[in-house]
Amino acid sequence: MSDWRLHTPTGVNDILPEECGIKKEIEATIWAVMTAAGYKEVETPAFEYYDCYVGEGGQISQEAMFKFFDEQGRILALRPDFTTSIARMAATKEADKKTPLRYMYTGNVYRHEQTEGVRQREISQTGIELIGSYSYLADAEVISCAIEALLAVGIEEFSIEIGQVAFFNGIVEQAGFDDVMTERLRERIDSKDSVGIKQLVKNLNIEDDVKQLIIDLPYLFGDASILERANIAGLNYSSKIALDNLKSIYKTLCSYGFEKYISLDLGMLQSIDYYTGSIFKGYTHGVGFPVCAGGRYDNLMSKFGAPKGAVGVAIGISRIMKAVGGKGFGRSVGSTLAFAEKGADAPMYELVSSLRMNGCLVEQYLGEGSDFESAMRYAENTKQECVMRVYSDGRLKVYDLNQNTVIDTTVNEFAGYNDEAMEPTAEELGFRRM
Amino acid sequence: MRYLTVALAKGRLAELAMDIFGTIGIDCSEMKDKKTRKLIFTNEEYKMKFILVKASDVPTYVEYGAADIGIVGKDTLLEESRNLYEMVDLGFGKCRMCVCGPLDLKDRLHTMTNLTVASKYPKIARKYFQEDNGQTIELIKLNGSVELAPLVGLSDVIVDIVETGKTLKENGLDVLEEIVDLSARFVVNKVSMKMEKERIMDLVERFTELTRGNSEE
Repeated sequence: MSDWRLHTPTGVNDILPEECGIKKEIEATIWAVMTAAGYKEVETPAFEYYDCYVGEGGQISQEAMFKFFDEQGRILALRPDFTTSIARMAATKEADKKTPLRYMYTGNVYRHEQTEGVRQREISQTGIELIGSYSYLADAEVISCAIEALLAVGIEEFSIEIGQVAFFNGIVEQAGFDDVMTERLRERIDSKDSVGIKQLVKNLNIEDDVKQLIIDLPYLFGDASILERANIAGLNYSSKIALDNLKSIYKTLCSYGFEKYISLDLGMLQSIDYYTGSIFKGYTHGVGFPVCAGGRYDNLMSKFGAPKGAVGVAIGISRIMKAVGGKGFGRSVGSTLAFAEKGADAPMYELVSSLRMNGCLVEQYLGEGSDFESAMRYAENTKQECVMRVYSDGRLKVYDLNQNTVIDTTVNEFAGYNDEAMEPTAEELGFRRM
Repeated sequence: MRYLTVALAKGRLAELAMDIFGTIGIDCSEMKDKKTRKLIFTNEEYKMKFILVKASDVPTYVEYGAADIGIVGKDTLLEESRNLYEMVDLGFGKCRMCVCGPLDLKDRLHTMTNLTVASKYPKIARKYFQEDNGQTIELIKLNGSVELAPLVGLSDVIVDIVETGKTLKENGLDVLEEIVDLSARFVVNKVSMKMEKERIMDLVERFTELTRGNSEE
């Protein structure tokens, strides 16, 4: 029998200091980009009533949710995404606020992915939701924020693919497909399975140019020229509107100077079905999955009683970490070790506290007894930059391990109590500010 | 230029696929050496890598982006149901996925309660009976010689690939229903398709061109 005490469950992991440092820096970088664009950070519960996540416009299949019960037998679920919770929050608590509402979040979502192995079940995301606008400018804003975030974390080669669900929905409506047929077609178009699509539409009684368009859909990706190819005479009103909307988003992003990062894909039809308009996914080298994904979800807000246009994007932090590969992140801050000789605990702590207040990273030596030799060995093993040896009479020896120098001074003098101008010495001696 | 990695299902599919790559000038003579135990082959001129993996692993390699392109049978794609692009029907390796069993079950197949089905393809079998026909079944996953199952009473019927039907006949079984036609497919990782669009679409077009005759009935 396996000893389960020692293992983490499938799909969840510990994040150790080095990796965690990189993760926090990436999150902080994205936070700064989104904050600068007016997005305010919010937190929603890690679990909610299952009913929140399902129903009309239900999004994530029930198999993918972690479910449990409260003491009254109601079904709870760990959040499978943030968008639903934030839509609920905005609709129930901030419905009277002046729109647009701009929210940002960082945290984990939980999905019971069936695939064994690399796929995680606890997924770190940072994202934004822009609620209260039906304009294509809102779509363009969210996409441009995603682009800025990817650039800010140092990803230079990437592609944001933009699609339009309403275009496909218009065609389906026109062809009169039922739900089962629509889902089959959606799956096949999303996997560009042209054989399967042909089999499906072969015997349908619809106009030839629409039939041909459905067969061509998987290949309608690339630059703006595909919009012309898709704009056939037989399109119905909703599909035409959808194409115009996509064109406006594309043009706006081009005018922002983002042409090289974006392209269009009318055959992109992801399975989360609360999306009603534009949808987008960001891809980069070295990561086999999208690093970010989002779209417009105009019906979700009305599910919670406050119909409003809304659009958002989520960025997958671990996929960003994979794409970045630690490049430019995780710089370590030099650390100082403080060692107290017998009876020197008070002056030592005074010095430590003053240095910490000035932004230095100072670690206290915890070794048994008063053996300075072992403190030095510890300092070398843990790559400390400096060791401070404090004596009970207030004398201080500073060992700079980078430059191999020793300075004799006193705690008072070093901390700058005698002379205000002494303060920068800490940096001159090799301390680094955090 | 980055390497494009192609995952090939070991065996006949790999040979047929390499013939096509050869025809369009991307040669990998190293692979033709029958004695080699290597699993990865490189063509420096076109910056291509070819890896040989078990058929059922091809979709996994491609979904995770460990390979950009894969050549694999439709049966494996259906069974693995991975998230990837299925770009070209190569038209070779043709066969059918069928429900097979003793002929007297033919008319009763969908009215029998507690129908027991043995298969190497549990997902395909379950989807066919439960989703497409709304019938609850008992499923037994086997790894080979599936034809044996109805003969020794392990199951009522089997779901398996039928090429010529010879094995079935020799074991007194018949095709009761056809589920789907199968053939080899050219699949692509979703990210690779976006990031290496020109090179991959070029291959897609050439493969479509060269296999056009095959996929028509």
